[in-house]
Formats: sequence, C-alpha cells, structure tokens
Amino acid sequence: MSAVDVTADATGTTGTDAAALALVSLASMTPARLDALLRAWPDPRDAVAAVLDRDRAVTDVIRARSPATGAPEMAALVDRWSETVDVAAAERTIARRRTQVVLATDAHYPIRDDVPRRPAVLLAEGTTLDAFCGPRVAIVGTRAATLQGLDDARQLGRALADAGCSIVSGMAIGIDAAAHEGALEAGGVPIGVVATGLDVVYPRRHRALFDRVRAAGLLVGESAFGTKPEPTRFPVRNRIIAALADVVVVVEATVKGGARITAERALEYDRPLFAMPGSRRNPAAAGCNALLADGAHPLLDPSDVLLALGMTEGSRRGWAPRPSVHVSVDAQACVRACGGEPATADQLAARTGLDPAALARALAECQRAGLLTQSRGFLWPV
Amino acid sequence: MLASVRSATLLGVDGQLVAVEIHVSNGLPAYNVVGLPDAAGRESRERVRAALLSSGLEWPMRRITVNLAPGGFRKTGSGLELAVATGVLLAVGELPQGCLDGIGVLGELGLDGSVRPVPGTLALVHALRREGYGRVVVPAANAREAALVAGVDVLPVRTLPELRACLKSELSWPSPDDVAPRRGSGAGPPAGTDSDAEALDLVDVRGLKEVRLALEIAAAGGHHLLLVGPPGVGKTMVARRVVTILPDLLPEEALDVTRIHSVVGEVPDGVLMTRPPFRAPHHTASSAAIVGGGSVRPRPGEITLAHCGTLFMDELGEFAPAVLDAMRQPLEERVVRISRQSSTLAFPADFLLIACSNPCPCGRAVTECTCDPGRLARYRRRLSAPLLDRFELRMSVARPDADEQPGDPSAVVAARVARAVARQRARYDGLPWRRNAAVPAGRLRDFAPLDRVASEVWREIVRRRQLTGRGAVTVRKVARTIADLAGVDDIDPSHLLLAESLRQDTP
Repeated sequence: MSAVDVTADATGTTGTDAAALALVSLASMTPARLDALLRAWPDPRDAVAAVLDRDRAVTDVIRARSPATGAPEMAALVDRWSETVDVAAAERTIARRRTQVVLATDAHYPIRDDVPRRPAVLLAEGTTLDAFCGPRVAIVGTRAATLQGLDDARQLGRALADAGCSIVSGMAIGIDAAAHEGALEAGGVPIGVVATGLDVVYPRRHRALFDRVRAAGLLVGESAFGTKPEPTRFPVRNRIIAALADVVVVVEATVKGGARITAERALEYDRPLFAMPGSRRNPAAAGCNALLADGAHPLLDPSDVLLALGMTEGSRRGWAPRPSVHVSVDAQACVRACGGEPATADQLAARTGLDPAALARALAECQRAGLLTQSRGFLWPV
Repeated sequence: MLASVRSATLLGVDGQLVAVEIHVSNGLPAYNVVGLPDAAGRESRERVRAALLSSGLEWPMRRITVNLAPGGFRKTGSGLELAVATGVLLAVGELPQGCLDGIGVLGELGLDGSVRPVPGTLALVHALRREGYGRVVVPAANAREAALVAGVDVLPVRTLPELRACLKSELSWPSPDDVAPRRGSGAGPPAGTDSDAEALDLVDVRGLKEVRLALEIAAAGGHHLLLVGPPGVGKTMVARRVVTILPDLLPEEALDVTRIHSVVGEVPDGVLMTRPPFRAPHHTASSAAIVGGGSVRPRPGEITLAHCGTLFMDELGEFAPAVLDAMRQPLEERVVRISRQSSTLAFPADFLLIACSNPCPCGRAVTECTCDPGRLARYRRRLSAPLLDRFELRMSVARPDADEQPGDPSAVVAARVARAVARQRARYDGLPWRRNAAVPAGRLRDFAPLDRVASEVWREIVRRRQLTGRGAVTVRKVARTIADLAGVDDIDPSHLLLAESLRQDTP
C-alpha cells in the first residue's frame, strides 16, 4: 500500500520535473521566457499542456517579456514548441542521469526571492540537494591568474570549506578551478555553476574536476542538455553564482572580465563583496583593486568572510603558515629582493649583488625551503 | 679515339670523383651524354661546341659519346664542361696522349672559350686530392680557393686555348697569384660573419648579468640557449653578440666551413673562413631552407651553413612547426640525413643554437601578461616539449632595472671562452667530439665525474626540478662547462646549482 503511494508520489514529482525539463529543452527558450511561462502556469505540467494546446495566452505571456518580437514570429515559435515539446524524453533523461530539477517554487530552491531574474528552473547533478544547505561563499576570478592568485584561491577554498561553507564557482580555468580544488582538498562541498548543459564539460581539460565536483558536491546549470559554451551565456551564468552565494569573494580579476560581472551582480543582490588586494604591477589584480577603490571589503584573511557570514569562530583561520625555516643570509636577501612579486634571476642578481654562483646556491636553497618557486622563467614568492 | 679525363662533381657538400670518358667514332655526327647527367650536363654540347669553335679549334663532325662514370648518381651542374672539352681535344689528337695523367680538370665553359668558376671548388679539389690527383686544373677565379687544399698543385686557367697551350707545353702554367692577385686589405670581412661584427661588443649590453653568463657558457660548451622575454629587453642584442666571444675555428674546421659555404657560392674568392659562421634565417624559412633539401641537387640548409658556428633563430615560435620538428634529429645527432630516391646524403650540422621567443602573444612580460589562457596555451604548444628539452640553457629575460651597469667587454669574455674551449679540446683530443655539449651521456662518468657531495646535489636537483633523463644529463654537462670556465678539473656543487639555475622552466 505504502509502496504504491511512494511510487505515485514519485511519479507525480517526476512528472513536474520532466515537464520543467521539457520546457527548458525547447529551442529558443530563454531564462526570461521560462520565467514568464512558469509565472503564468506555476505547475510546469500546466505550462506544457498550454504549449501543446497552442494556447494564445502562451504567445501573449512570452511577448510581454520580449515586445520587440512580432506576434506572428512568436506564434510560429509556439507552434514549433508544441510540435517538439517532449516530456517522455525529459523523463528518460532524468531517470538516466539522476538530474535533480529545482523549481523556484520549491521549498528547497536555494536562491532567495529578493533576487531579480533568478532562474525559474535550476538543474543540478551530483550529490543531494542538501549541498545547498549551510552558508555558501562564491570564490571567483580571472582565468589568467598568477601562481599566487591560484594559491590564494585554493587556500581560501580550503579554509572556508573547512569552516563549513559550500564553495560556489564557475568551473573555469584559473581562480575558479583553484577554489573548487581547495574545497575538495578540505573534504568540503563544491558547487560548480556551468553556463553549458550539465552534460557538456567545458573547459574540456577539467573533465576530472567535473567528476570530482559531482562526487562531492553539485554541478548546477539552467541550460538544456547539450547546450554548447557560447560567449553570451557566461555573463548570464554569473548572476547565478552571485545569487547562490551569501558572500562573494573576488581573488584576482582583470578590469574587464567575468569576475567583475559577478561582483556587480553581488552588489545588485546586496551580497557582501570581498576583493583580495594585489600589486599595481599585476594586471590580474587590477580588477580587484578597482573593486576595492569602489568600496568592496578587502580580504586580508579567510576569517574576514566568516565574520561577514556571522560565523564567529573562536580562532582566526588564517592562511597556511609560512614555512619558518632558517635559511642563509643570501637566501633571505633573495626573498626580500623579490618583494612579494615574481622576479627573474637576472633581476635578483642585480638587486642582491650576488655573483651568479652564490645566487644559484641561494635560489636553490629558497626553493628547497619552499620560500620561492620557479615557474615560467620567474621566481615566485610562495 | 677514346679519352678519359678526371673531374669531380658535388654530392651534397662533398666532392665525388667523376671519370669523363669521350669516345669519338665514325658515323653520323652526333653528341650523346650518358651516365646520369642533369639538364646542365645535357646542355653541355652547345657550350662545348661553341667554346671550341670560338677558340679556333675544330669540332669533330663525327659521333661523340660522353660517358660520366660512375653512372650510379646524378652529376649536377656545369663544372664538367671543361673536362668534356679537354677530352674531345684529347680524343681527336689535338692534345698529346698522357698529358692529363694525374691531373683533374674542373671548370665551366663560356661560349667564347673562357673558363668560368664553379661552385664548391674547395670540395671538388679536395675530392680529387683524396683520390690521388695532386694537380688540378681550375678556373682562374677559383684558384685561390683551390689552393686552400693542402698538397695540391693548382693549375689555373682563364681560357680553353690557354689550357691547350699549357697542356702542350707551349706555355707554362700561370701561378695562382698571377691570375687572381691577392687582394689587399679591402677584401672585406670574411663571409658568414656579420658585416658589422667588429662594431658589436658585449659591453653594449646593460644589466642582464645572468643572461650574459648564459651566453658565455653557451659559447664555451656549445650548449643551446633559449632566451624568452618581452620585445625590447635585449634578447636579440645579447644573442647577436655571441660572434664576438667565440674562438677562431681550428684549421680543419675552417676548411669544412669554407667547403660548405663554397658549395652554395657564399665564399668570396678563396678566403678561408676562420671565424665561426653566424646564420640568422628568417622565421618564414621553409623546412628545406633550414635543414637542407631539394630533389635534384640537395642543397645544405641553414643548419649546415651554421656548422661549427651559430644558428640564431629569432622569434622561434613563429617558425613553422614542421621546421622546428625537422630540426630535432640534427640537434641530437649533429648531422642531417637527407634521403632521396637515388641517394642519402649526410650534411654536417654541428652548430650552436641560440633562439629567442616572446613569452606569449601579447608580448608583455609573464608577470604583466593579459593573454587569454586558451590563446596562451595554443601559443605555447608551438614550441614542443621535446624541442624545449634540447635547450640546455633557458633564460627568462626581463627589463633590467634602470641603474644597471654593463659587464665585461667581449674581449675579456672571449679570452675566458677560449680558455674553456682549449681545455675541452685537450680533454677530448682524439675523440669524435670537441665540446662538452656533445659528450655522450654514457661517457659523462669519465669526463664529468661527480664526487659524493656533488652527486647528492645533482640528484636533489633532478628530484626537485623533476628533470627528464636528458635534463639531468644536461645539467651535468653545463656544470662541466662552468667548471672549465672557472679553470678547474672537478665539478663542485655550486657548478651544478648554477647550471640548474640557468635552465629555467620557460613558458
């Protein structure tokens, strides 16, 4: 008896989910159109029925959102939708991929309703939706990050995940990936928000990272399966990152870049915004410094974020402790000569006045002690 | 009615003895060349005939067959024409039998009977000498070049009638100096060196202490050097000054180098190239231009012209990937093998490679780069890891701080390099290599031994830097050179660490 009930219940939910996914999967479906449809017909099944009926109301509801498009075109679009909407296929996809469909009307929908233009339907894959519980921190930044930026993002992800925050980011190369890695290292919950379909791995070199995020947290998106990476989708995706997060941290960002868009959305949605200060010489820090000039909170320590979340921890978490090793005077001089910024051996030779052999000895010592790393022809302070 | 004249033709950068056999018989007048002549060889009929007639000699209206032996390979160029003409004269009795015994004949003919120079004279004379022809008739214009070959009696001629007269002992052979007077000091700089090499000096370079050191080590040990940095920081400026610190060529090297350049016609009249060549091909160069090639007559490429000298590749990343990949084998073997349907040629290619590259498409310093990661990744892929691994010295070049001082002038550096090179020449005396860079990995134990402390440091470097096998060997060879520059026999840990610091992980 109860088994039958559960089945019926499950079928009911799946029916809603499948209808929602079927709507998402329609050609030329945009977040705005989907939102309009589901506001008019809060149950996706009703919306599907309306589309199948070629209800004139469908055309009207959609045109209200994009008045520039003429009525005949819109009617033709709805006609096409009515021919292609396929709930059964959506149902099969959900069963196969175990995709979780979250409607804005659901109780466990993770985005507060004060966010304008929040997605009407979120698709998620990975562990359970419990991953949305608890504080969420977005860590975003440029793809062209420096070694130090990557290390900061990783440490930040690790420290905040360790404190119990989910780490939201965009799965991109650079800061995004480093933040996810940090969360994974701490055994925390990464939430990767993608601009493509959930079945598309972009960038492709992150295939392993996608698998690990699925296993430990969630991949979230609003686009239909099979949606390819298109440049226009990334800024749209960034609003979800900002909306999902309770606090947004920008680690390294160029002046014009996706991270700046996420930061603007965060301000629009009234999320606390942190930016990590950087050197004026570092173009990857210019965006952060500009945000600071505009009034973002400077992030000097991971615990600053916890404070903003109201998570009063007894101890400051801090960055990974610097290796406190005893090194020679020459090695110390090399670290000082870097001044916290990458330098070539040539520059260090000139600044320290060491002869090449002594410099080579000192640099090897610094690398052994973990004070400097050698990469791309530069020595980077750790 | 049979005559045979010894001459030689080019096979790659080497001379190859050719016996020109002439048979004149009764029958319908005809002229046939057999024995794989190229187009120029087949055209020889018109030139030989016109030259004979212009010289007041008779063209036999009989059946003439010219055979170029051995028949196995294609004879190229027109350098056999004088031999053909002489053979015809010999066959019809215009010349006494036996007058050409022990004499080789080289030269191209003009329609007026003049004898014109042939490319690669040095290689050709060398081949004749090797085969036992100690007297060689050469075009007067090539006399001084031919005289560079030791133990050869050079018989220069200006015209066909002059040759005939000399062979008939009606005239005495002119001396090389008569026909091609030694030019005075106005001869210009030797080919292959920068025309303004005199004006270059390392003292012009401000700062870049480590880069200059890397250049010195590269020059001393023959280690390939890659300089990576944004435009305008002085990469090219430093690299071009390598010519000012390389020692003079050894006599046999000088002969090799001159021979190679003579083949492509780049040696000014008979000057022995004693300075190491410096070649700087443009990045649009084709694979054949760089490594050598060509179907009918394979020509040496830039890497062979840089033999015993420097090949400078500016904007390494802009060279076609196929070109860079084709260079990998010669970089390893110091010889390039060109295989064609008819033959396989080996061109020497033992050169010092110095290359410059921008770190990324935007050209800014690594720390200031704003390149899109995808574009950057594509740019970096152009320089394949196997190629980068072959650079023993890899330096990142950054803009020097403002107040940096120039270092030692070229003369001082050159003296240090010469000392290190002399040490290597003595150490590798009788072995098939001369520089530390060329020591086979298996012989490092003999020539670059490490004591217990040094070998621990070496292993630590290999571990820490995760070096490949080649990388590990390289660090040891460079350390050997650093020790040689310091004038010491034993490699100590600081040499290894310095070698390591000059082999950076470039972008």
